[in-house]
Amino acid sequence: MLEMLGQGLVLAMQWQVLLFLLLGVVVGIIVGSLPGLTSTMGVALLLPLTFAMEAATGILFLIGVYFGSMYGGSVTAILINTPGSPAAAATVLDGYPMTRKGEAYKALQISTLCSSIGGFISVLVLILVAPQLAAFALRFSAPETFALALFGLSIISTLSSGSMVKGLISGFAGLLLATIGLDPISGITRFSGDSLHLLGGISFIAVMIGLFAMSEVFRMMEGSSAVRAATGQMVKSVKDKAGLSWKEFKSLIVTLLRSTGIGTGIGMIPGAGADVAAFVAYNEAKRFDKDPESFGKGSLKGVAAPEAANNSLTGGAMVPLLTLGIPGDAVTAVLLGALLVQGLQPGPMLFENNGPLVYTLFIGMLLANVLIFVIGWSCIRLFTRILSVPIGLMIPVILVLCVVGAYALNNQFFDVIVMLLAGMLGYAMKRYDFPVAPLVLGMILGPMMESNLRRALIMSQGSLDIFYTRPVTAVLLLLALATLLSPLFRWLRTRRR
Amino acid sequence: MKRALLLIALLMIHGCGGDGEGQQRPLTLIVPTAPGGGTDTVARVLATQAEPALGAPIGVKNLPGASSAIGMFQGANAPADGETLTMVVAELAILKSLGLADIDHRGFAPIMLVNYDPAAITVRRDAPYDTINEFLDYAREHPNALLMGNSGTGSIWHVAAETFGHATDTRYTHVPFEGAAPAITALLGGHIDAVSVSAAEVLPYVNSGEFKILGVMAAQRIEALPEAPTFTEAGVEVPEFGTWRGLVAPAGTSQERIDQLAAAFTEAAQSNEFQAFMAGRGFGIEILPPAGFATFLDEQAAFFERTLSTLGLAP
Repeated sequence: MLEMLGQGLVLAMQWQVLLFLLLGVVVGIIVGSLPGLTSTMGVALLLPLTFAMEAATGILFLIGVYFGSMYGGSVTAILINTPGSPAAAATVLDGYPMTRKGEAYKALQISTLCSSIGGFISVLVLILVAPQLAAFALRFSAPETFALALFGLSIISTLSSGSMVKGLISGFAGLLLATIGLDPISGITRFSGDSLHLLGGISFIAVMIGLFAMSEVFRMMEGSSAVRAATGQMVKSVKDKAGLSWKEFKSLIVTLLRSTGIGTGIGMIPGAGADVAAFVAYNEAKRFDKDPESFGKGSLKGVAAPEAANNSLTGGAMVPLLTLGIPGDAVTAVLLGALLVQGLQPGPMLFENNGPLVYTLFIGMLLANVLIFVIGWSCIRLFTRILSVPIGLMIPVILVLCVVGAYALNNQFFDVIVMLLAGMLGYAMKRYDFPVAPLVLGMILGPMMESNLRRALIMSQGSLDIFYTRPVTAVLLLLALATLLSPLFRWLRTRRR
Repeated sequence: MKRALLLIALLMIHGCGGDGEGQQRPLTLIVPTAPGGGTDTVARVLATQAEPALGAPIGVKNLPGASSAIGMFQGANAPADGETLTMVVAELAILKSLGLADIDHRGFAPIMLVNYDPAAITVRRDAPYDTINEFLDYAREHPNALLMGNSGTGSIWHVAAETFGHATDTRYTHVPFEGAAPAITALLGGHIDAVSVSAAEVLPYVNSGEFKILGVMAAQRIEALPEAPTFTEAGVEVPEFGTWRGLVAPAGTSQERIDQLAAAFTEAAQSNEFQAFMAGRGFGIEILPPAGFATFLDEQAAFFERTLSTLGLAP
């Protein structure tokens, strides 16, 4: 193994490989930070460029884009309350409150550190135990994915700081919106009327852009003195450059490692992506924290958890891709195409037939995470300058980004309309203290939960045995049940006192 | 950072320059699926090869969604000036019969059939049956017990599995997945018993010894997998069945323009680059000229209308 890594290191140290990896990471960070341009789109749009490149160069260029975009989403999430990609939706929850408190600088430091360390560790895991983990990934099928989605939904209770009822209303609205379009199992149309666009369902990314970013634009336009005061304060304290202290970083290590584990694990599971990983990691960070009340108000761990999780997902997603030739999420599906075009067949034979290349990719992936740290860390000051842009300029810029981003999703104006409607909904929700994150979570998990529940029941020919005879399913369902009932236990305990 | 932005800007400007020779206006090629998938890569590689012959750049525009209905619908409604082309897929012959979208091949002027991949019945290597007849015997003794994965209800591979069951008088539990890849993953994990997707899609796993193909729904063995038997050889009567991709323009485009496009794209399809790409992915190249493609589309539409109503899948 060491010999192979050494060989990979030599091959990765060619200038064109390094140059394109660097370019990939930079493009990735930009793609990730722009709402509407997702990791998948970034990689897919750049895929044709790699056809003419050498295998290692081309694939590492795309991997750079993939890894960079996971990190890039956090920049806009933290600074302007706009997740650049679904993976950063959970970062908004505590990242933006930190900015409002004047700690934008520190928040970006945490996101940069946790993204790169989480990503680095996940690639190490990939290098050391990929074949063993691949067998585990294959045990996931419809019932397990359903159980995971159900467990994910229990996160709504975590996201509803304040009123639980409002959180549930928001979450169920998301589930309901997700049912629009073609029924995933029987192919019957639901709530689509005669619209061809509704037949395809409502894009949750368009809704997310509207709920988080567009609603913020409306709030800024309102021009209330409160907003102005908040922005003014923000800029002032960023100039104070309150950096992350060693003590603060030490307090994040456990969260960082746990979230990396969660991210890597979810990455391996086919069908669950970075958005799910980030929300689950956020949830677990809050569950294990001594002071869960601080979450949602600018907790350092609330930024560290989703950022470590979404970047560590990348190493995990590479496990089934390289060892089995099956993509764990949408981005790796495109990467599979990139490998095939280069004449590489991912799967058990890849390591035997193309050993040196595989280890070049491994070294390149480790380097990509180092580059994320170097580029991210040196650009923090540049990023925070966004905050000193006057609000009168900020509004049209975010507005343009929202519209272009929504249009770019599928090249359809329909998604822009969805985004604008979601923006109005988001504005009303924020105004009346409804959390918007549960709605996005519901839209992400709804289809995953529904189709896998029904698929599991088809596979078991209608028998419910499938949910408790399979160990992974049973464990996940028990976890979901425990999370669901935990408020009840807490209530009982306090009552006994 | 600033330098990187500049570099990207330069790259973009470079990509925009295309009005060199011929002074032709750029063409748009609508792909009704998401970027990065099989149809998308086929379209992009073919478009790149056709650019020199056409003397115009081709911009690929992905319009995915609603079983490819959205992209094909917009392609059919584009101006018939021969500047907007569409890469149509087999769903074009199915959508109307399923009552999902009011769109069929009559909205288009065919240019060229590009590719055809037959369906196959594939099982795991360790499955207890080695031939299609052993598989059918098992299925007859255990109706509905075998789990047959497909790429979604009403999708081409679901219809393939139903057609296979109908023709052989056997019954299966059909498990729909969101596309062929998740179905293949489930078979790899042993969660289902068989898949009815194309031979091209399972090719890598057959080569790595994980799967075995029991039968291909085609008249002849396929080039990429000469060892996979056809149903006909085994004496099992099953109609020929497969997915395909083709280039079309909106109906009403002038014959002169269609012929010009067909000539350019036929040349592109014969290029070494395209041939090598298709062989690498295991996709079968099947070129038909405008007239032949038109007949093919008529036959496919009639076949699916008949099949879907026989199977009870039409509303």
